[in-house]
Amino acid sequence: MRGVVVAAIITVLAIFTQVPLLVGYVPVIWAGEEEWEAPSGEKVTIDQLINGKHVVEERIMGNMEYYDGKMITIEGEVIGDIMYRGDYAWITVNDDPYSLRKSLEEGGDFVGLSNQGIGVWVSREAAKKIMTCGGYKNKGDIVSITGEFHRACHEHGGDTDIHAANLEVISSGYAFSHPFSYGKLLAVMVLSLICIYLYYLRHQKIKKVIREE
Amino acid sequence: MILRPSREDLKIIGWAIGRIILGIALIMLIPLVVSLACSEWSAALDFLVGILACVAFWLIVENVCYVKKDLGWFHGLIVASAGWITAMLFGAIPHFLSGHFRSYLDACFDLMSGYTTTGLYLLQDLDHVSHGLNMWRHLLTYAGGQGIIVIALTFLFAGTAGAFKIYVSEGKEERLLPNVIRTARAIWMVSLTYLWVGSGFLWIALTKEGMPLGRGFLHAVWLFMGSWSTGGFAPQALNLLYYHSFWVEFITLIIFVIGSFNFALHYSVWMGDRKEILRNVEVRSFATTVLIGVFVLSLGFGKLGIYTTLPEFFRKGFYNLVSGHTTTGNSTIYSVSFLREFGWLAMWATVFCMAIGASACSTGGGFKGLRMGVIFRYLRGEVRRLVSPDASVITEKIHHIRDIWLNDAIVKGAMFIVISYMVIYSLGAMLGIIYGYEPSVAIFDAISAGSNTGLSAGLTSPLMPALLKLFYIFEMWAGRLEFISVFALLGFAGALVRGKGKRSILRRRR
Repeated sequence: MRGVVVAAIITVLAIFTQVPLLVGYVPVIWAGEEEWEAPSGEKVTIDQLINGKHVVEERIMGNMEYYDGKMITIEGEVIGDIMYRGDYAWITVNDDPYSLRKSLEEGGDFVGLSNQGIGVWVSREAAKKIMTCGGYKNKGDIVSITGEFHRACHEHGGDTDIHAANLEVISSGYAFSHPFSYGKLLAVMVLSLICIYLYYLRHQKIKKVIREE
Repeated sequence: MILRPSREDLKIIGWAIGRIILGIALIMLIPLVVSLACSEWSAALDFLVGILACVAFWLIVENVCYVKKDLGWFHGLIVASAGWITAMLFGAIPHFLSGHFRSYLDACFDLMSGYTTTGLYLLQDLDHVSHGLNMWRHLLTYAGGQGIIVIALTFLFAGTAGAFKIYVSEGKEERLLPNVIRTARAIWMVSLTYLWVGSGFLWIALTKEGMPLGRGFLHAVWLFMGSWSTGGFAPQALNLLYYHSFWVEFITLIIFVIGSFNFALHYSVWMGDRKEILRNVEVRSFATTVLIGVFVLSLGFGKLGIYTTLPEFFRKGFYNLVSGHTTTGNSTIYSVSFLREFGWLAMWATVFCMAIGASACSTGGGFKGLRMGVIFRYLRGEVRRLVSPDASVITEKIHHIRDIWLNDAIVKGAMFIVISYMVIYSLGAMLGIIYGYEPSVAIFDAISAGSNTGLSAGLTSPLMPALLKLFYIFEMWAGRLEFISVFALLGFAGALVRGKGKRSILRRRR
């Protein structure tokens, strides 16, 4: 009996370890790659990632201690809002494929993971260069930012941020329209008809019950 | 002998679930209006489809399940547990149609996370979602915080004696007023009053911090809903870090601490008994465990030399610790920072607080302060008994609205729930480890899901295995309902398959 239990446990464990392959599990790897694809598409090595070459957000977040205090360059979409604070402003830059290529709202493809973005502290003049922020109806400006990365910025209450020394708008954002879905409209019409019919049935049933009582 | 539920039992349960789904349709009207007001036509269609599907379901069960009987205790338990699952399936329709989810399972995950005020999410490209969908995400967590049964009771169950049975089955034992429907309405009165006050303060803070007035208003309402319900959702992927604002963090901290307290405590204070705040066992338990957490956190940060100033400690350490303790999940750091920046001690201080969780009959999850108080007093009583003469009688009491003398039934009840939580935490962690995730990350996210917290150390993502998603959905659901209803549903399923005869559970109860 005991042998059967042990065999069952081993079988379950064996199945579990195979399940990742069945359900398409891809482990997230933070560091250790020889090459990294920059947002612009070029292949760069780990040494090139700092001091002058683009760094992707995922790479920074996985190696915060390494990049702390270093000058880095990131490239991404300005999303959300520009929040002015005196002579400076906060912007959020995201460099995941939804931002750099097409957002899901614009008809982009699923890529698996979306980034959180990173807060960038920019001067008011630099922020004024940004015309469009990304959102449901807009593709935001794509900017290139060079600045100092802080894993826990003392000036901003420990925020993880970048203090921009230079901001360049690479491509302007634009408003886009959502294609009208006739499939959804059809679903609304069919469901409406079903609801009307069911409501009629319910009404008849209530009348019948009242009559019986 | 296990009796098979009769057709009548199924009809009673179906009828009540239909009412809950109608409640979901009514809530969906709000994001529909927001979508229309913001000219988000595609999102508006998503909500229309969702509303019509809910109404169609309600009408079907009204036609099929009409029965002239009221709910019994067992029915109440089944309605609560199955009602949440059905509400998840229907509520996920607008989510899935929005195109931000890779599968319907992912949409259901977010729905259950919202209803149970967990805050974990698999939605992709959050920064580009519509205002309508954001309203729905936050509204469902706000509604879930009060309890979706409470919503249905407030509007759709007027006059039924069985209402109390499903109210209790949702993990709420407090009756603020003699009538359970008036209790449900009192819960809403408390929550809506705080909604206007809290959103107002947040709106002022966000406008001061540079947000435009219109978007500032929407963000204020959403942040309030996410914080008060201890759900932890936020409209941007960076969560609270997006705002870079001490004041926004401070206000949300106050909101989620207040939100995590027992509705009975709120009502008692509203009725003028302010001393209850200091005497209540849950407040004392919360204060004690927060102090222990802060002590360990400061040891951890001191060792690492990170977040060294007081503002940094408050905004990155204390905020996230209390967010975890109240099972909120609002965060001012990146997910990976728990693992890579916090260090071992600070991370485990957060895990410890998450596991304990908020107050009973609140919007939060976890073991609950009340049970921690009961277990602590019981252990203290046992120690006192050991050192006292044999003939002495040692009794312990706790104060929760009134003095409660501890007896075996109360202690056993508390222990049973705490052990059940520990079992689902352990199973979730084991499953994550088996899938190859780092043990500390697997434990962190499993406890976060089971305690309905919503902080993540990086495991929860659309790429996680489907089985793990399913187990996390189970953890969130079972944790929120505090197990009894879930066990009842399992028993009901067993009785359907293996039960004998056709006797109604209703008749058997009588």
